[in-house]
Amino acid sequence: MGAFRSRGIRPALLAGCFLLVLVVVGCSGKTGRAGFNFDWSVFFRDVSPLSRGVLGAVYVTVVVSVLSQAIGVALGIFAALGKMSRVLPFRAIANVYIWIFRGTPVVVQLMFGFYGLSAAHLWGWDAFTIFGFKIAGEIQAGIIILGINEGAYMAEIIRAGILAVDPGQTEAAKSLGMTYGQTMRRIVLPQAARVIIPPLGNEFNNMLKTTSLLFVLSVIETYNFYNIAQGQNFQPFEEFLGCALWYLLMTTIWGIVQARIERRFARGTTVSSQQGSGWRMRFFGRPYIGAGSDGLGGH
Amino acid sequence: MKTPNISSDLLGAIGGVPRPDVDVVVDARDVNKWFGRLHVLKDVSIQVKRQETVVVIGPSGSGKTTLIRCINHLEKIQGGRIFVNGHLIGYREAGGGTKLVEDKEKNIARQRQEIGMVFQRFNLFPHMTALENIIEAPIHVRGMAHDEAVVMGRALLERVGLAAKENVYPNQLSGGQQQRIAIARALAMKPALMLFDEPTSALDPEMIGEVLEVMKELAREGMTMIVVSHEMGFAREVANRVVMMDDGVIVEEGDPEHFFTNPTHDRTKLFLSKIL
Repeated sequence: MGAFRSRGIRPALLAGCFLLVLVVVGCSGKTGRAGFNFDWSVFFRDVSPLSRGVLGAVYVTVVVSVLSQAIGVALGIFAALGKMSRVLPFRAIANVYIWIFRGTPVVVQLMFGFYGLSAAHLWGWDAFTIFGFKIAGEIQAGIIILGINEGAYMAEIIRAGILAVDPGQTEAAKSLGMTYGQTMRRIVLPQAARVIIPPLGNEFNNMLKTTSLLFVLSVIETYNFYNIAQGQNFQPFEEFLGCALWYLLMTTIWGIVQARIERRFARGTTVSSQQGSGWRMRFFGRPYIGAGSDGLGGH
Repeated sequence: MKTPNISSDLLGAIGGVPRPDVDVVVDARDVNKWFGRLHVLKDVSIQVKRQETVVVIGPSGSGKTTLIRCINHLEKIQGGRIFVNGHLIGYREAGGGTKLVEDKEKNIARQRQEIGMVFQRFNLFPHMTALENIIEAPIHVRGMAHDEAVVMGRALLERVGLAAKENVYPNQLSGGQQQRIAIARALAMKPALMLFDEPTSALDPEMIGEVLEVMKELAREGMTMIVVSHEMGFAREVANRVVMMDDGVIVEEGDPEHFFTNPTHDRTKLFLSKIL
């Protein structure tokens, strides 16, 4: 593993890639077919964190993602346990929930949940203030609907994680007098977490990007911020390139955090999850080497 | 196939006049158990007295593991009654005692607190250290204070000879060490009865001795134990009674010497000739 330890290089490498993109783009500006000129000043002005409103929009993306994912995990646990319950109504509720939210587009859920429910006077999505922050109804709706949608996907992931735990663990917990709830909370779920964490990380990566759909509710998050900007200056190339870079920054930082979390949860196992966290692995990956091979390959 | 119940004759031999209410820890009567169409326990009746060590032997598939799993209701039964310390395990009687209805989960959990179990595959909690494994149930089930539980946990580690392994995770321990921790974990609940399900079968030969030593010590201290095991040396040394099961029935029971010197049934003779 020694060859893969190059922590110091990571920020430099990221910056290098960033520059590479700019150079490519800059060149294409001069050689573009229709004589397109890349507008550096607009690009730098709007991609810069100092630009008015950018950080606010990114903040909305991150906060909505975190809260929606948290709701998704909580609902996913209940739905997974419901799906495996011995009580038929619990199973039915969990299955219907998963069926509906995995079977319809999230855009439809957002539009129906926000505009549909308020038009039918079922739920008004009124703004409220918490800790001095005013939370708009659109953002509340976005967080809750994305969270409920996510729960349906998390349910399957969590169920698989629970099923991966040795049944002997449940028996040992029961034999010590633990109730079902204690067994789940103290013994099964912490072990299932090891199996759940990697796909959960991928789900959160998806969530960061899916929040861009909140533009349909006129929430000004990262995507909508740049969408509005390009609507005003008619420079979609510059604006959406800047937008993409912000998302890339968020998902990359998350990837690093995810690798750390996975290592933390490997505690007490023999499997090393050290691999996959270095920048070489991140950018170049590793070829698949079949079992039993010495890894040297060649013929 | 009905077997004569000879345990009452033997009770005299192990000393004391039976006082059924106080002295009997396990009282299983006519237990029947099916796995689908497979009849794994056929009218099995067994009594275990306080401070008695009973070793259950028999070929695989004879129902011996299932029997002890029924005693702490890890398996449901379809007929008969099992009492531990006079309490009906896993069920409550309905319809004037004619029908058995499975008890509430909470009540079953409470009953299991009194019954320790040691598994063939140890089943230690891999995300907890040795000490955490031991103090988990006393704290979260019994509501014991953390500091008090730690003191008790360390004493138990000392008792099984693993005081130095307090902060070690199970996967860093040998099989024998894991099983000794598992015994300590069960003892931490101060059970009235200990069930051992082939506790040495998954161990390398050189580790069997250390586990049996802990179990012998327990038996000498007067723990009531039911041990499913083929360790005849252990049986000879500490068992008050050996029970031979085959095909879902108790074929023969008696003191260990009886099994070594003149087993009655052909099945027992055949089985012992294979394992001794």
